[in-house]
Amino acid sequence: MSEWDELVNYFRGRSMWMLHYCTGCGAIELPPTMTSRWDMERFGIIPMATPRQADILLITGYLSIKTLKRVVYTYEQMSAPKWVLGFGSCTINGGIYWDSYGVIQNLDKYIPVDLYIAGCMPRPEAILDAFGKLKKMVQKGEAKGYEKYIKNYDWYKANQDRVFRRTEPVLRKAEEVTKSA
Amino acid sequence: MIVLLKLIQGIGAGALSISIGLLFVGIGRKITARIHRRYGPPFVQNFIDLFKLLSKKSISHGFTFDLGLIAGFSALLAAVVFLPMGQINIFPHNSSLIMILYLMTMAYLGMAMGVSSSGNPNATVGIARALTLTMGYEVPFAAVIFSVYLFAHTGSLTNIVAAQSGGFMNWNLVKLPFGFVAAEIALQGMLGEAPFDMAIAPAEIASGPMVEMGGKYLGFGMLQHSIGLFLETGIMVDLFLGGGSNVWIFVIKQFELYFLALLVNAIFPRFKIEDGVSFMWKVPLLLGIVQALIVVL
Amino acid sequence: MNTNLIWLVAMPLIGSAVTAVVVRYKFLDRLITFLTFATTLFVLFLAHVGQSYSWTLKFLGTTLNLTLNVSHLSIFMLYISIAFGTVLAFYSLIDNSRMKGFLLLLVLAANNWIFMSNDMIGFFFAWELMGWASVVSVLGGREKEKSRHAALYYAMMSVAGSYSMLFGIFILWRLTGTFSISANIAYLSSIIGGHPWWVLGIVSLFFMTFMIKSGIFPFHTWVPLAYAYSPDAFTPFLSAAMSKYGVYGMLLFLPLGLLEKGFPTAFGVPWTNYIFLWFGVITAVVGTVLSIFQDDVKKLFAYSSLSNLGYVVAAIALFTPVGITAGIYHAFNHLLFEGALFITLLAVISRSGTSKLSEMGGLWKKMPITFFTFFVGIASAAGIPPFNGFGSKWLVYQAMIKQHLIFATILLFLASTGAFMYLFKAFHSIFLGQLSHDYERVKEVPIVGQIVEAFLMIAMIFFGVQPGYILKPIGAIVKSMGLKPLPVMANGYVAGMFSNVYMPLIGWSLVVSFIFGFILFYVSAEHKNVSQTDNYTAGQIPEDWGLTPETYQFSWNFYQPVEKLFVPFFRIKIDGFFRGIGDWTKATGSAIKEIFVGNAQMYAFFAIVGLIIFVIAGWMA
Ligand code: SF4
Repeated sequence: MSEWDELVNYFRGRSMWMLHYCTGCGAIELPPTMTSRWDMERFGIIPMATPRQADILLITGYLSIKTLKRVVYTYEQMSAPKWVLGFGSCTINGGIYWDSYGVIQNLDKYIPVDLYIAGCMPRPEAILDAFGKLKKMVQKGEAKGYEKYIKNYDWYKANQDRVFRRTEPVLRKAEEVTKSA
Repeated sequence: MIVLLKLIQGIGAGALSISIGLLFVGIGRKITARIHRRYGPPFVQNFIDLFKLLSKKSISHGFTFDLGLIAGFSALLAAVVFLPMGQINIFPHNSSLIMILYLMTMAYLGMAMGVSSSGNPNATVGIARALTLTMGYEVPFAAVIFSVYLFAHTGSLTNIVAAQSGGFMNWNLVKLPFGFVAAEIALQGMLGEAPFDMAIAPAEIASGPMVEMGGKYLGFGMLQHSIGLFLETGIMVDLFLGGGSNVWIFVIKQFELYFLALLVNAIFPRFKIEDGVSFMWKVPLLLGIVQALIVVL
Repeated sequence: MNTNLIWLVAMPLIGSAVTAVVVRYKFLDRLITFLTFATTLFVLFLAHVGQSYSWTLKFLGTTLNLTLNVSHLSIFMLYISIAFGTVLAFYSLIDNSRMKGFLLLLVLAANNWIFMSNDMIGFFFAWELMGWASVVSVLGGREKEKSRHAALYYAMMSVAGSYSMLFGIFILWRLTGTFSISANIAYLSSIIGGHPWWVLGIVSLFFMTFMIKSGIFPFHTWVPLAYAYSPDAFTPFLSAAMSKYGVYGMLLFLPLGLLEKGFPTAFGVPWTNYIFLWFGVITAVVGTVLSIFQDDVKKLFAYSSLSNLGYVVAAIALFTPVGITAGIYHAFNHLLFEGALFITLLAVISRSGTSKLSEMGGLWKKMPITFFTFFVGIASAAGIPPFNGFGSKWLVYQAMIKQHLIFATILLFLASTGAFMYLFKAFHSIFLGQLSHDYERVKEVPIVGQIVEAFLMIAMIFFGVQPGYILKPIGAIVKSMGLKPLPVMANGYVAGMFSNVYMPLIGWSLVVSFIFGFILFYVSAEHKNVSQTDNYTAGQIPEDWGLTPETYQFSWNFYQPVEKLFVPFFRIKIDGFFRGIGDWTKATGSAIKEIFVGNAQMYAFFAIVGLIIFVIAGWMA
């Protein structure tokens, strides 16, 4: 890593903007993390409205297959240095949804996760701790999930397609259903 | 030789406005955090953010997208050099206030062109809101600046500043108090701070104009905001607070105005757009007209 | 005796006769039109200030003296209108709307005659020729039914105007026994001290005609219709050049409007002028506000055009040196940018086949030259320095502030901010946003059109940065009116009352900062271009959602919140009121004709009285 890259990484770690997009129960832990009690803005982390502006994608909990589709689309819309943070046991192994038909179990099979936070649900302290860890990883240049995604795109794509097939209607086409209704 | 000198001075003024503007926003974030009883980011956070944004990859929607964002930044930079800033006054014979205001319009036109060529309706809705609000605050502001014109018998900022020299009692703030209040409210709209921040509402229209901007585009947007902040507060200081004997006093006066705006911003919710405009056409406009009548009669 | 002046009128007439013969062959028709315009422009080079020509007609025992003469004002107007017409005629070579070349040439003949005529008979005849030729031109619009209706409405207003002028002419003739304009004006100014009301009445008759022609409130109702439904290639001339006849007429009679001797003053202007000024201000505001809500792009710019004429009228009504300068300067700028905008609209409409804003979008990639011309055009119209609209708007404000007219100034400022709103709306809806699938195969206009557009774009920048080329002739006009012209400064200066602006400096400042901006842009991290469908949609995938470019384009109900603000004002329907007059005229016209047959003066008088009664009745109701 050249000195310039080190400098760039140092500043990147100090200014990580997260996408304000919440999927599962984890959403409820973010407001306290943002506001007066824990105040994550002091680490330069602020919520942003769209994927174009954001650096971090938080997957705050379980992901239904339909939501996964949106998450993947959103992830692909984000620009290059981007990191994914998996919240809670649901993103690690399914958590209490380990045997659900409509929810994915391992997030890492579909998009590259840089860091997981264990717990159900992780408390704000844990979240802040994770942000600190991620910051160190970024500054050391270790968080390279987005490069992994491009390198192994075929594998990720195949995994995604396998679950997406499950969202298609089994019996009838969607239009037919709406027409007859 | 003189051309080269002016060029260097101009670049210096641009650099000053960018750094002061960024610093203001940084300090502003800290102050807002303290009002919220938070610790807040370091006050250089904005520089870090800017650096990160400029070094981040981004997407573009074509040449107009690029050009628009660049125009938004550059046209404001071009306007800054005409602003008298304390003892720095690069073109003293060319500081017509209306000229500066119209030149700033070019930046907003450029910005509007850029973001709406992205084809995202959220962006265009944001721009439409911003323009509607512009119609709201420009009217009281016009009343104020024309009162100042009449009062000082001059339209050039240099002369308006010169007319206020010689102590606090000569400031237009004291001489035209209604106008000052009206302009303060208009300034709140100009800066896009609450309660007039409907153009960049993050929850309803996904931050409006900024919806498709990422990386360096957002960086340019940030630069534009900083220079705009510098210019708008600078104009107010020249109009009402008597400019400054040197540039640092000038900056401190600017900060006072920004501080006021921040306090309001930190505690107010948002207006609905038409309510915002009709508010602008009621209270500040009335004050502005009262001031104008006092000056004329 | 300068016979070359005759050729200024005769040349277009001959050209129009020739084109009338070959009207079947479109290209030939357009070619001859263009050549005639070019020759007329050449003939104009031979004309100089102070030249005159007159001849005598024996008609039913009376002798009529017809005089042409060239003043500072007329040569300025002639240059700008013929030069613009030539550019337009060049563009029309590739145009395929149903504009007839011979009608345009008739208008040109009338144009030259109006600007040079120094006798009222010639003036009136030329005025009528212009009126009828343009009415017939309007008939050839894209939508037959609508353009017929628009032409009728326009004809009705023109006729009302003509009556009014005719009546004024006959009264003056009775009083002085001569038709010469300058003699009559001299007469009127000599009696102004004794009979101010008389003079006011006579001048108002003329002013009504001019206000109708320029579309000044409350006579603005024909403008949007006629502009929107006339042939696309004719509208630029209608808006840019023909709206100036009214301005010219006002300037001709305005020295009289300065009724200081007879009337008290308000804010340093005679109150007659003060009222007249408010007509201009109201036009500016009404035009702007109505423009914001239009969906038809030609209607939008029609309102925009008349709102700018409001500025002109407001400025010249002051009759101060800076006011007159500002007014004429803005008239010129209006000609340039409004002409350029209507020509780009012509290009866009010919390619996309629609004039509805809600049906267009994203055309900038397809028509880059048109796009940039339009961009410079709206920047000019919005008054952004260093483009050409800024100097005049700025002077208008200065002129108003000089007279302490603070309310009028604030309203004009409001109009200018509103102008930015509707201009951006048009800009976005035509060129930016999502490109519909229907326009995937749209191409840029042919090379002739591109040349014209590029030329106009350069002209707008050039006259913005170098206003001296226009301000100097205007200074001469102001001087010829007996006022003290603004100080003449170096070429790039716009000299105002309160401060000066050196336009090239702004230009250089922009150039330097743009270079800086581009450098910063290209040293920053790289970007990649994405398609228009790759857009933030809150995570929803466009294909799954059934999202099309048309549905993802925001152009319908663009300023809906503003609409809510203006709801109370929309209840006032001026248009319907004039329509009522139209019906009334139709019904009672024949009866009046029966009674007053053979007495043109009485006939005109009653038409006017009726109109005035109806105006009053309409406002009371
Ligand atoms: S890990 Fe627990 S808290 Fe988090 S989403 Fe799953 S069930 Fe909810």
